[in-house]
Amino acid sequence: MIHNFLGYLHSSVTPGEAGNYLWVTIYVLLVFAGISVGVIFMNWFERKVMAHMQVRLGPMRVGPVGLLQPVADALKLILKEDLVPANADKLVFWFAPVCVVMTAFCSFIVVPFGRTHAITDMNIGVLFMLGVSSLGVLGVIMAGWASNSNYSLMGSLRSGAQMVSYEIAMSMTVVSAVMLTSRATGTGTMSMIGIVQAQLQQHTWFAFSVFPVGLIALVVFSIAMVAETNRAPFDLPEAESELVAGFMTEYSGFRWSLFFLAEYTSMMGVSAIATTLWLGGWLRPFPNLLGGHTWDTAFSLVPGLTFLLLGALCFFRVTSMPRIKAMRPEVMGLAGFGAFLGLLGLFMMLPGVRVRIQDIYWFAVKIGLFMYMYIWYRTTFPRYRFDQLMKIGWKVLLPISIGVVVLTALIGVRQELFALVWR
Amino acid sequence: MKVGEFLKKIFLFDLFKGLSVTFRHQNPNDLVTEQYPLERPKISERFRGVPRLVKDENGNDLCTACGACALACPEKLIKVGSERNPETKKKVLTEFDFDMGRCMFCGLCEEACLTDALDLSKDYEIALYSREGTELNRSQLENGVPGKVYEK
Repeated sequence: MIHNFLGYLHSSVTPGEAGNYLWVTIYVLLVFAGISVGVIFMNWFERKVMAHMQVRLGPMRVGPVGLLQPVADALKLILKEDLVPANADKLVFWFAPVCVVMTAFCSFIVVPFGRTHAITDMNIGVLFMLGVSSLGVLGVIMAGWASNSNYSLMGSLRSGAQMVSYEIAMSMTVVSAVMLTSRATGTGTMSMIGIVQAQLQQHTWFAFSVFPVGLIALVVFSIAMVAETNRAPFDLPEAESELVAGFMTEYSGFRWSLFFLAEYTSMMGVSAIATTLWLGGWLRPFPNLLGGHTWDTAFSLVPGLTFLLLGALCFFRVTSMPRIKAMRPEVMGLAGFGAFLGLLGLFMMLPGVRVRIQDIYWFAVKIGLFMYMYIWYRTTFPRYRFDQLMKIGWKVLLPISIGVVVLTALIGVRQELFALVWR
Repeated sequence: MKVGEFLKKIFLFDLFKGLSVTFRHQNPNDLVTEQYPLERPKISERFRGVPRLVKDENGNDLCTACGACALACPEKLIKVGSERNPETKKKVLTEFDFDMGRCMFCGLCEEACLTDALDLSKDYEIALYSREGTELNRSQLENGVPGKVYEK
């Protein structure tokens, strides 16, 4: 048992492939905890970045630089009264947020945070992710229907229409990326790990593969994924000015926070798909060009250095804080947090740790980039009208994505085509 | 021209322009927010705050108890009490009541004052939990209201 448990540590496959149920359970818990912490951090990060883009400060009072704000928010949401409308369909009303959260988290089963850092490797990984994450629409429609409220129903109708129509453009671009996996080797794969390994073998991220085509696919996907997750500027289902809060109108307290959790989790989910398919997943920048032992060591130090830098930033912030008695806990708290980050950075520099941690780090950085883009869009763009949204989905993104698929296919079989023509 | 516009549309030029604007505003120097209790706001010279009775360098009352401020006050909230000094035959200030609860800080009393004895100072932290304490008497006007002092 123990031998089985420890033996996995030296394995080079995911626990799902190794059939090690204990480690699968541990990985599931780790991923769940990691995503939840990510959502909590994202809550703070979004408010902070949005505030700075709007020339405000954002949360400053709860904890040093507002770091404890999400904790306070979560506490408030849990303590809030859990209202169920009198004429609501109780069972469906109860099940809707569960359904949304479950589907959002389920898609992380196949997300590869590293070669061995995935719960399992599925040979239809991408298909599974798309399928499961689009089941979330069901929960949204259930929520709108069960609430027995006009606003909720309108919100969920819009959301359903939007998610279904953008799903198509999204899947088309995914098809083009899957086609690219068979480019050099001739063996295509839909496994998330296989796709990243194909990018390693072809010496290029798929975003830069077959030059403009891969990039167009990424752009189309990254527009479609904003609409897919109901985020600004495509947040019509939650358009505050028109529909109060869309399908979440009648939800309060903990149930509402489940929707919140699901929204951010699915944002990370689709970002994970985009990262895996086009931005090389867990691969560090230039794995082939800057190969060799020296570069490997240099790049494996980056995670630790990042955390050291974050810790240094905390200490830098401490020096500019006012020296008064009332601020002392915050100053000490921030200094402590900085010290913790620094120690974490040092821990990540240990030779045994840094080799295992670097894949996760690069994957997280790429997802973080997408998260920042989400916030950036939200502050910058005004909301689209519903007909404009549908127009973009069906008349712009869908033709472009089909074109991308056709182009990729033609480029893939161009030698055979030439042979056919010349004969 | 037509081609340029078409290219702009294709490459989402306007969207990127907007994105660059929001990105640039992240610069911390752009912030205009005041962290109030920690950072004190800058107060202009002509600010009209809590009224004060000013004395001259020797500590004598500048106020001649003429009552011009009480006459000028649109709210009639100033009460000047005086008695005549039998020796010098001059009016001497005995009491000076100022009802802050009704004051709108128009500054007419300050303008009316012949000796610049009444001054609307730059103090602004005058919030109270009840109406008691809004009426300031002479000593409060001369020495300032003993409010809560925050540590710096």
